[in-house]
Amino acid sequence: MHMDYSNIRSLLDKYWEGETSLEEEAQLKQFYNAAPADLPKDLQEAAPLFHYFEIATPTTNLPGFEALQTAFETPATTPVIKIGFLRNWMQYAAMLAIALGIGYGIQQHIEADRPPQHPELSFRQDTFNDPKEAFAETQKALQLLARNLNKGKQEMVKLNYFNEATDKVKEN
Amino acid sequence: MPVQQKLFRFAFRLLGNEDDAKDITQDALMKVWRQQGKMNELENVEAWCMRITRNLSLDKIKARKYRVADDLEKALELPAVDTQNPHVATEQQDMMKRVHAAIHALPEKFRLVIQLRDMDGFSYQEIADMLDITINEVKVNLHRARQKVREQLKNVYAYGLQ
Repeated sequence: MHMDYSNIRSLLDKYWEGETSLEEEAQLKQFYNAAPADLPKDLQEAAPLFHYFEIATPTTNLPGFEALQTAFETPATTPVIKIGFLRNWMQYAAMLAIALGIGYGIQQHIEADRPPQHPELSFRQDTFNDPKEAFAETQKALQLLARNLNKGKQEMVKLNYFNEATDKVKEN
Repeated sequence: MPVQQKLFRFAFRLLGNEDDAKDITQDALMKVWRQQGKMNELENVEAWCMRITRNLSLDKIKARKYRVADDLEKALELPAVDTQNPHVATEQQDMMKRVHAAIHALPEKFRLVIQLRDMDGFSYQEIADMLDITINEVKVNLHRARQKVREQLKNVYAYGLQ
């Protein structure tokens, strides 16, 4: 029986060069698995190696992890999240809140523009039209500010004593 | 090939022992199972499983000062092809032992690549993921591994089997 081995030879050359694809390697394995005993010498070289590849691989039965397997095989899909009543409800609530807010704002604005209903009362409350009173009020406010500032200053003086004391201690 | 089979093969190549490889495969799958939630975030779930398997295997090797078993005993049990002729059968057994020894004499990075590719049929990409090296390194290591094995086989032929 004469066979044409040229294809196998070129595959083998590629194999030794590390350039074969998985399919080509499978072809070689298949060939050596069913190879006749009277192989040409150059082809015999690789025979034991391929024979070894064939028989020295463990065929262990592993306990099934079917659930996991299906998890691998099913393509990852983005779960569909149903936007139900809750999301819509919140949308509507937000819209309502904004509408109420705007409504309230407009109302306030209109009321502020309206002339005061009791002019004599508001006149008394408003100090702006009475220079004397305004001056007195301003003075009072400034005095309060000055008092408070002085209080702060006193504290600073105390702090300064303390700083000086520490410096002295440091010097000694 | 189912994923658990792939993990098992990989663990087996790393540890050289079927029982330990089985244990590691189980552990790895349990770990994967427990972290299922992560799966959706991962680009390559299989590579992630391989990484888990590798880490568990390496932990085992480290923890026990493991000696990667060179299952020569297993090689001795390899089924003979020609059982009709005892002489031929012995010769074949002997040859298989030599091939086995040649592959196991390779530096680990070469041995793993040739085993994972030629015996387990993994793609370059899969091997790269498993061993955490580049595809190019896989190809280079595979080429060198095959060359070395070829040299060994040539020696066997040159000096005969006896």
